[in-house]
Amino acid sequence: MPASKTPRLARPETLTALGIILVAAGFLIPTFEQRAISALLPATMLIGLIVLSVLLLVSDQRKAAAGEDAQPMTKSPKRVIGAFGLIVAYALATDFIGFYVSTAVTIPLVAWIFGYRNPLGLLIATLIVTGTIWAIFDFGMSQDFPAGRLWER
Amino acid sequence: MYSDLLHALPDVFSLANFAAVVIGVISGIVVGAMPGLSATMAISVLVPFTFGLEPLVALGLMAGIYNGAMYGGAIPAVLLRIPGTPAAVATTFDGYPMAQKGEGGFALQVAVVSSAFGGIASAFALMLLAPPLSKVTLLFGPSEVFWVAIFGLASIIFLLGGNPVKGLISACFGVFVSVVGSDPIYGNDRFTFGQLEMLDGINIVILLVGLYALPPVIDLLETPLKTSGVQSSKLGTEPIWKALPRMKTYWTTWLRGSFIGIWIGILPGAGGSMAAFMSYNEARRTSKTPETWGEGEPEGVAAAEVANNADTASALIPALTLGIPGTAVAAVMLGGLLVHGLQPGPMLFRDNPDIVFGFMWQFLFGAILLIILGGSLATNSFARLLNLPRPLLGSVIIVLMLIGVYSIHGRMFDVYLMLGFGAVGWVMDRLKFPLPPVVLGLILGGFAEENLRLALRIGRGDPMVLFQNTTSLILVALTVAVIVGPSLKKRFIDKKKVDDDAAG
Amino acid sequence: MLNIVKKTALAGALILSAGAALAQYPEKPIEVIVGYSAGGGTDVMARTAAPFIEKYLGEGASLVVKNMPGASGQIGVTEAANADPDGYTLGTFNLPGMMARTIDREADYDRDSFTYLANVVNDPNVIVTSKKSGLDTLDKLIAEATENPLAITVGMSSLGGDDHFALIKLQNATETEFTIVPFKGSAPARTALLGGHVAMGILNISEVAEFQDQLNVLGVATNERSEFAPDLPTFKEQGLDLVNGSMRGFIAPAGLPEDVQGKLIDAFTQMANDQEFLDAMAATANPVEVVTGEEFKALTSDLYDLAKDVWDTTPWN
Repeated sequence: MPASKTPRLARPETLTALGIILVAAGFLIPTFEQRAISALLPATMLIGLIVLSVLLLVSDQRKAAAGEDAQPMTKSPKRVIGAFGLIVAYALATDFIGFYVSTAVTIPLVAWIFGYRNPLGLLIATLIVTGTIWAIFDFGMSQDFPAGRLWER
Repeated sequence: MYSDLLHALPDVFSLANFAAVVIGVISGIVVGAMPGLSATMAISVLVPFTFGLEPLVALGLMAGIYNGAMYGGAIPAVLLRIPGTPAAVATTFDGYPMAQKGEGGFALQVAVVSSAFGGIASAFALMLLAPPLSKVTLLFGPSEVFWVAIFGLASIIFLLGGNPVKGLISACFGVFVSVVGSDPIYGNDRFTFGQLEMLDGINIVILLVGLYALPPVIDLLETPLKTSGVQSSKLGTEPIWKALPRMKTYWTTWLRGSFIGIWIGILPGAGGSMAAFMSYNEARRTSKTPETWGEGEPEGVAAAEVANNADTASALIPALTLGIPGTAVAAVMLGGLLVHGLQPGPMLFRDNPDIVFGFMWQFLFGAILLIILGGSLATNSFARLLNLPRPLLGSVIIVLMLIGVYSIHGRMFDVYLMLGFGAVGWVMDRLKFPLPPVVLGLILGGFAEENLRLALRIGRGDPMVLFQNTTSLILVALTVAVIVGPSLKKRFIDKKKVDDDAAG
Repeated sequence: MLNIVKKTALAGALILSAGAALAQYPEKPIEVIVGYSAGGGTDVMARTAAPFIEKYLGEGASLVVKNMPGASGQIGVTEAANADPDGYTLGTFNLPGMMARTIDREADYDRDSFTYLANVVNDPNVIVTSKKSGLDTLDKLIAEATENPLAITVGMSSLGGDDHFALIKLQNATETEFTIVPFKGSAPARTALLGGHVAMGILNISEVAEFQDQLNVLGVATNERSEFAPDLPTFKEQGLDLVNGSMRGFIAPAGLPEDVQGKLIDAFTQMANDQEFLDAMAATANPVEVVTGEEFKALTSDLYDLAKDVWDTTPWN
């Protein structure tokens, strides 16, 4: 891949450094309202993060100037975003619809989407995992998992 | 006291009490081996349930789980580079490279033998030396504890990895996360944005699951074509008695690691992962071949695993005698003791000797059982479980992560927080930011701050209070030695080399 | 006893339109929200009390303890305050903590958010000094504090708790000043005392009972000597008017139907006289002092006023 393909400012390290600087600066604002002694450690760390990120930014830009190409973060961004999105969706579903239903759907769904398509295997795995969790946590330890906020009241 | 110890022994061997330890060890290994589930979570789920159990059954379960989980955490640390418990972070350093070289089976055997060694040493410390060691704990006031934390933080410099700037960013991030919550002195909110859930700070398990477990899961899903997880043929398991002779050179590492683990255990608050990090660093520092460390050096696995089990029983020394637990897990266990009306304090040993000393025996047997149960049964079956098709393995780990994080406090908020850390962890993983400094920073940052500020209050603002006694000064000297030592040594060796060359 | 229950139920049935259904109370499990982790003092109280409440509610009543730890109990108590007032959600309640939180922090509840059932535990404050300090009597302590203001360091658990209020009362009564060292919880404070890192401590009697030989316990902040340590003199006996403590009890959301409230308070009253319950509480180091209904409400109000007063003169954060 030729070096010119990644714009200098869109290099992953540069973007990350800029991100850290922005977020750290954002977190610095509330420290002004805190007592000096309360704010001391967090403010030091945030300033440290900003300074270090500037160093990171500079060194990455130097690499760019030297024509070194940045490693792409991932070869298949769609899969990564898809995987992360599914995990977030699973957490939301657990919260709103309920744990057991979401789990019974998520296990086969994720495995199916990402390439494991043996229906019997999926069925067995789902039954074993959900069943074991129920037996140990719910039945054995009377531990409640979210029942779903949608059904409440 | 020692007659009380023997007197408590028969009770431990009653069927129910002994079975409790066996079940505890097995479930501990399972919990530790499941990425996302931790010993803290398992015991906090167990505590309310033990209300209706006999004390020794309840305590036996907890002792077993604690011992089992400290080893179990090594299994995914070696096979998947996901530490199963916070204390297994240092096990990934050499364990995972070993697995990639096809020595995963040997790594796990080293881990189980080292864990058992550490657990046994720790149990003996608890049984024989609890009262004198609790006096040592009393020497450590806020200013001394502050220096312990600084000593631990100083070891971050060995964990920075190839790029110091990135390593320091990781460390700053960890320390910053540790200050989220209520201010240690005044109780006012810091960076909680009005969320009551954040007021107690961010639990290490939440951060750890997010940072360490989520990126590998995404990896598992991202590259689905390789359908196998870890090839069992590559695991290279041979019977444990054949593997034992290869470990005979680890004696010094084991003894040193046990000492460090016991010592960290009796100091309140630092706990598990710090012991493993320190033991690993010390072992590497004194090794003749430090360059092989991090590339799959079995002794590194031994150093980390011996220490994270050596602080299990010793963490209970301050918990039982003073009511201040040495590790997060011991803190939850303390709740289990209170449920049974066992109030910590000097009277505990007089009022309930059979239970207290029985509990100590259970720790010892838990550690011994670890070799039998962990060595043969559990390790092999888990290695096989991790051999599931990658997408399936990924989806199962996702479920475990959610359960493990949700169960700590029983709230979804923590799960969302964990996912946030997961996103951060993925970026860090891809850009090769080292993760261990984050973990150490989180454990020790707020801890150091709290004790510094308590010390300054005691000294009424005078910083000299930090240098006023021998214990503090020794710790300061040790810290300086750790930081400056390696560079001095290097200079000395370089100079010697030059001299030799000149002479030759 | 059963008669009274029946009468209350009957009265409830007559007063309320929905009385017929409510007279069956409880017809499903009652959830008790504990704002702390399993194994804490409040949790142990709730779990010890639960079977006795079940016994006195009768008719197969069942209580389920649910731990919602976090923010020093605030998460749990907020949940209890905002639950349906149907008698199937109760909560534990800590004083003065829960009232202090409405002052030093934003809280989604206030003192009128609750139906006050019963306060069960009253754990009085004690003043202790480390053996190293040499201050082995109250007079010596006060003399030293008067002579050298701020020279004595006081270990205690967090600001805005019962320990803190006890110290403020002490400072006001004796016109002295101390240096406060707020640890996270009482066990670390006690350890610092044992090691001699702080000179004095304000703790609760249940927390020092096991350590009486290693510390100087100067007195207890009660009106009469505590059954928990009958040898320990009160401050009143020593000429210092200092009464303070940490209290733990049970509340329900405001607006509980009267018959349900009556049934519950009745159960708590009966429990207070059950020797088996008292023994179980003594075994877990919980000094019992049961105050029910209106009295409990008045007690809470008084503590709120005290905390508000302290906050207005010397805010702690």
